[in-house]
Amino acid sequence: MINLPKKPPPSLMVFLGIPSALLFSYYCFLKVGFNLSDFKENLENRYLVTDPLFNPKWSWAIENASEALVETIQIAILASIVGCFVALPLSFYASQTTNQNKVSYFLYKSFLNLVRTIPDLFWAMMFTVAVGLGPFAGVLALVMFSLAIMGKLLSETIDSIDPGPLEAAKSSGASHNQSVFTSALPQVLPNFTAYFLYIFELCIRASVILGLVGAGGVGRIIETQRIFLRFDRISPIIVLILLVVILIEQFSVWLRRRIL
Amino acid sequence: MSLPKQPIQQRILKYTITALIIVGSIWSASGLEITLEKILKAPEQIAILVGAMFPLDLSAEAIERILPKVAESLFIAWAGTVIGALFSFPIAFLAANNVAVNYISETTKQILNGIRAFPELILAFVFLPITGLGALTGTLAIGIHSIGTLGKLSSEVIEGIDEGPLEAIKSSGGSKINELLFGVVPQVMPTITSYWLYRFEINLRASAVLGVVGAGGVGAELINQLRFRDFPRAGTVLVATVVLVLTVDTISAAIRRRIIKGRSVKV
Repeated sequence: MINLPKKPPPSLMVFLGIPSALLFSYYCFLKVGFNLSDFKENLENRYLVTDPLFNPKWSWAIENASEALVETIQIAILASIVGCFVALPLSFYASQTTNQNKVSYFLYKSFLNLVRTIPDLFWAMMFTVAVGLGPFAGVLALVMFSLAIMGKLLSETIDSIDPGPLEAAKSSGASHNQSVFTSALPQVLPNFTAYFLYIFELCIRASVILGLVGAGGVGRIIETQRIFLRFDRISPIIVLILLVVILIEQFSVWLRRRIL
Repeated sequence: MSLPKQPIQQRILKYTITALIIVGSIWSASGLEITLEKILKAPEQIAILVGAMFPLDLSAEAIERILPKVAESLFIAWAGTVIGALFSFPIAFLAANNVAVNYISETTKQILNGIRAFPELILAFVFLPITGLGALTGTLAIGIHSIGTLGKLSSEVIEGIDEGPLEAIKSSGGSKINELLFGVVPQVMPTITSYWLYRFEINLRASAVLGVVGAGGVGAELINQLRFRDFPRAGTVLVATVVLVLTVDTISAAIRRRIIKGRSVKV
């Protein structure tokens, strides 16, 4: 008989955590009205959706949606560029490596966290009320969206940079801003570009649905057609969007490989 | 002082990227008819809207109306994540190329990519005529999208495992099932569980939005209050959502850290 070390007893977290997670799941399914028999019955209505969905009207979609699709791409391009470049200086304030002032560090960090908690479509709704319906509201919403993601990713990257060059710059008489500009920025620039491409992809995906609340782009057409259950017109639009997304992803994968 | 020059290839890449960014933003801004006038007016307009939201509408009636909706978003997100976790777990094994046969893993991966391509909102309004207005539609939309994302993440975790324990089990006579149960699952479980929680955080934001198409949750409340120009109440909805998301994020992040790090054990 081999003498094995004793297995530690399972922790309190396992004892309490797993049963309460299971209970909570049960409660949630109850609350959202999950009912298999109703579901089966309703499933017979699926032809309402699936029939038109698999009979796409290509000519209609290309004629009516291509302009809105270009608008969607434009919203994503502009918003990701503006959002990421606004986030660039903010990230340096939201990292303790480059901002020794605890109060302002905390304020910037909290600001970025707050922006991140509000979902993209909520921003879009608020901006459509504030600046009116149209793509400008969509751009503003996605600026906040990309600002929040870039702020988080980049400030965490800055947290982990090598502080040596910063010290070297400072000890040779550079001011704080100069040392950040010459020693911290070049270290994170490749990451910044990679994150930018990633955020651009996210923005393309997000900008598709902005139109549902009137913030411009191809979602506007999807919204009007879905109210009339014209899924035959929606499905080609969805396929077109997928094509654009895949193309852009391939491009950004290629570019990222060149940079990193 | 003469510094060494950057290699020509890198310089070309740098200038191309700069040019792309400038051309891209000009093309987009002009195409969307975004003028300087609009941009300058925006801060004032946003300030007016934010000003109209405060003080928040904290009357008993408003809270009674809003809290159940916020809670519904939480239920949708959790139930959707459970669906995603349950289905993605076995699928992840099929998609991992070190566990499944090559062609099965390739097909499964393509299927997962296909699922992931559809945003929750699009899934939601495809389901609407079948499952009706309400929380169930949102749950299914989030659940199916989560199968795609969790399946991909989990399969990558499985692909990254240490093969040693598998070999040990095989050499001591264990079957393929034994290998999976005692070699793979214990290695991947902590990371995969933490991905489930992480997905739950993302799904909470998604389920808040789903109300816009009538798939349940707090989104419908926000869009209605904004349409009726009841800004204090819209502010309450917004603040309630932010508080919920922040709370869930904090708790879930703490649990994830604990799962990944493990607890300190005295031997």
